Amino acid sequence: MASSWCWNCLSRLRPTPRALLPPSATPRISSAPFHSTAVHYAQPAKKKGNSLTVMKHRQSTSLRRKKKKVADRGGRPPAVGERKALRKRIVLSNPNALEVEGMLDLSPETMVDSRLRGTVLGLPVPMIDQLRAVQAFKPKQGWSIFRRPGTVLRRDTIEMGRLFEQISGEGDAAKKGKVVKKIVTGMKGSGKTVHLLQAMAMGFMKKWAVITIPDARELVSGETAYAAIEGSDPLQYVQPTATSALLTRTVDANRELLASLKVSQKHPALKMLKPSSTLEDLAKLGFSDPAVSWRVFQALWTELTATAPAAGLEKDFQPRPPMLVAVDGLAHWMTESAYRSAEFKPIHAHDLAFVHHFLSLLKESDSLKNGGLLLYATSASNNPNPKALNIALDRLAARQAGISASSPEYPQPPAYSDADPRVLDLLQPAEKAVSPVELQTLGGLTREEARGFMEYFARSGLLREIINDQWVSEKWSLSGGGIIGELEKFGRRLRATASASK
Amino acid sequence: MPPRLNLFTANKAVSALRQSTTPALSSPRSIASPIRLRAVQSLPIQRRWNSSRDGSKKVEPQPDEQTFPTVDQLPDVSEEANEISRIMEKEKRCDGIPSSPELDQGSPVEEILSRDKDAMKHMPKVMRDALKKSGGSRSFSTSTRSLMTDVQGEPKNEANPIPPNVPGLEGASDEAAAALASMIEQVQGQALEENPGLKFDPPAVPEDLRTLNFRKRYDTLQDQFTKMMMESGKLTKAQKNMSLVLDHLRTASPPQINPRRRLLGAPPASQLPLDPVLYLTLVVDSVAPLFRIRQQKGIAGGGTAVQIPHPLTLRQRRRTAIKWILDASDKRRDALFANRVAAEVVAVAEGRSGVWDKRDQQHKIGISGRANLNTNVRR
Repeated sequence: MASSWCWNCLSRLRPTPRALLPPSATPRISSAPFHSTAVHYAQPAKKKGNSLTVMKHRQSTSLRRKKKKVADRGGRPPAVGERKALRKRIVLSNPNALEVEGMLDLSPETMVDSRLRGTVLGLPVPMIDQLRAVQAFKPKQGWSIFRRPGTVLRRDTIEMGRLFEQISGEGDAAKKGKVVKKIVTGMKGSGKTVHLLQAMAMGFMKKWAVITIPDARELVSGETAYAAIEGSDPLQYVQPTATSALLTRTVDANRELLASLKVSQKHPALKMLKPSSTLEDLAKLGFSDPAVSWRVFQALWTELTATAPAAGLEKDFQPRPPMLVAVDGLAHWMTESAYRSAEFKPIHAHDLAFVHHFLSLLKESDSLKNGGLLLYATSASNNPNPKALNIALDRLAARQAGISASSPEYPQPPAYSDADPRVLDLLQPAEKAVSPVELQTLGGLTREEARGFMEYFARSGLLREIINDQWVSEKWSLSGGGIIGELEKFGRRLRATASASK
Repeated sequence: MPPRLNLFTANKAVSALRQSTTPALSSPRSIASPIRLRAVQSLPIQRRWNSSRDGSKKVEPQPDEQTFPTVDQLPDVSEEANEISRIMEKEKRCDGIPSSPELDQGSPVEEILSRDKDAMKHMPKVMRDALKKSGGSRSFSTSTRSLMTDVQGEPKNEANPIPPNVPGLEGASDEAAAALASMIEQVQGQALEENPGLKFDPPAVPEDLRTLNFRKRYDTLQDQFTKMMMESGKLTKAQKNMSLVLDHLRTASPPQINPRRRLLGAPPASQLPLDPVLYLTLVVDSVAPLFRIRQQKGIAGGGTAVQIPHPLTLRQRRRTAIKWILDASDKRRDALFANRVAAEVVAVAEGRSGVWDKRDQQHKIGISGRANLNTNVRR
């Protein structure tokens, strides 16, 4: 049916496009206006804003602040090394602290006396220089608030004292010439470094040769010079300056011992050595000339571990004493070092000859021919936390707990983990070793030991509390079960007396 | 003391019986006395209200700061004593107990119930039971209580011929009630003698209750000093610096005290290093000014400001002293901040520091300015 609309009409119904219309001058107003003035006559709206943002002309618009005057502190910065010296300064005495009456010294008798357990024993005054020489004291330890340095005689200390006696050939169960290898671990503040210090003190008392590496990190952090040993395979690197420093430390600390021992082996590499010279002279060769220091150290080591003189040098041969080797911060040796090879690949710490020498002592069965003690401590605060070392230590602990390597409980590295095989291999507990590596975990003090320790604070005049069992027990609990570093904080934490605070 | 507590509760149960024998014990006074009391008391209240109205902007002063000269005085001592003696002695009821508002003004529930028989029917079961049993025997044994009174051996039991709960005396309820009331009075008198102001025994708490649950790691002053040393919100760094300062005080040689500038209440100087927090506290407290100088405009006229001393609280005083010490330490030459501060603290202890001069000057201005204390601001 045809529509009544014609085509023309339909086309007219379509809306006309906007663009074709002339633009409307006024905006569309939906509601009726109140007044009849046209909108475009209205005043332009005032710009909003307060008077502060008014544009300022002919002056700077930037923010002007008063500069704080910096006080003149002499015009020049502190001298080179001054601030480091201040940071590393070790103060061992506080003349203001009270002298503890009746305080005993650490001596061959007291160090194994279980009746004295829990008391603080002073370090003998003549030995302090030796301990300083081997850097047994660390700057962050709280020696500086007491009249004189002293350490607690705890269970581990007495056990170690007995071990020293046995290896020296005294006591009931003498194990003369035996090597005991220990890795000392424990929580932060559990006294690992002080344990090493006590070992060094005992070593000096028993006239052992004491060789220490106070900070393992310094050898791998890329701070000292290094050079490749030509012809070694795999390529090894020596650190002449660090070796020289080690020789200096050793001679300073063991001067008396080394001066009494004569050279007993042939050292063709060291031409300047006379047959009558002492070990002190031998070690001194490495002081001045770092180029030969590594060879000097090797020569010194063969001399100290010698059991019999070489042919033709029998004249003044004396039996060599046992040795104490103490290393602090073992974990740093279980990763790649900060050094780079010629191909700019990171050098593994085990490829450094110095580090390798000391780590191989752990692996070899009779590394110290004349017997001795190897104490390698980990650190909880300065710890690169290598996975492989953690697994290796777990394995040692498992082995000590009687779990065999085939057992499913035996710790394994997680699948697809990049645990360092060299580290795992190094600390792999051997099935039937003569002297296996032991894991010694330092825990907290007992309450009685804690009481003795806190009484030491009180008797030094630093702690103003009534030390009774309840108070000690409270602090013992708060310190995580007698962690000695935490106990020390309770001892030295500063409180005012009641009258002053109110 | 169990017998005393029991008698207190018994008092309420007995009062329903007593009111029949002594009708309207305190009714005439209960209306009259509060009005008289209010009239007398309203005077000082009214005065205080007026005084605080003129300074409407002023913040209400803390109770311990009400010693400012601008604040209106409280009634003087003799007025106050008069008031107290009137309350304590003249307002006593016939039985000699100081009156209390609920006794004077309120009417006991039992009184209402006795008037309203209908309410008596619907009253709680406990009260009905109490009314029923009040004169009679109990369903439970009281042997333990009598034992305890025997153990304590109080003389009142011997003096009183009639024990409180003897079966067979139900008929003489009035006499029993009277006896009971006299006993209550006796015990109340005793209780007042023993702990004046306390109805019950004081609770057994450790001595320093304030610090029982509220422990702070650091001493108040040490905390304040540390936080004033803090820069950019680095509190840990400030605490480290504070421990360095205290270690310096602990290890440095004892201060040579200047006799003209002694530390306040200090132990001998040789003992100070053993208690470094006390050392620091004494140093700060000794140089702390007692007041600040307020520059008051509009008193003298002509736009000149008048210096008026304004007292500071302990914390404010310490704050000023710490600020002075830190400012003075800025001019020192030591490389480490902690060493500068520690050296300045020692200098103050030895009387060498310029902080003492600052304090002296402030006190001098304050002394000369105290004449201006009572001047009012001109409008």
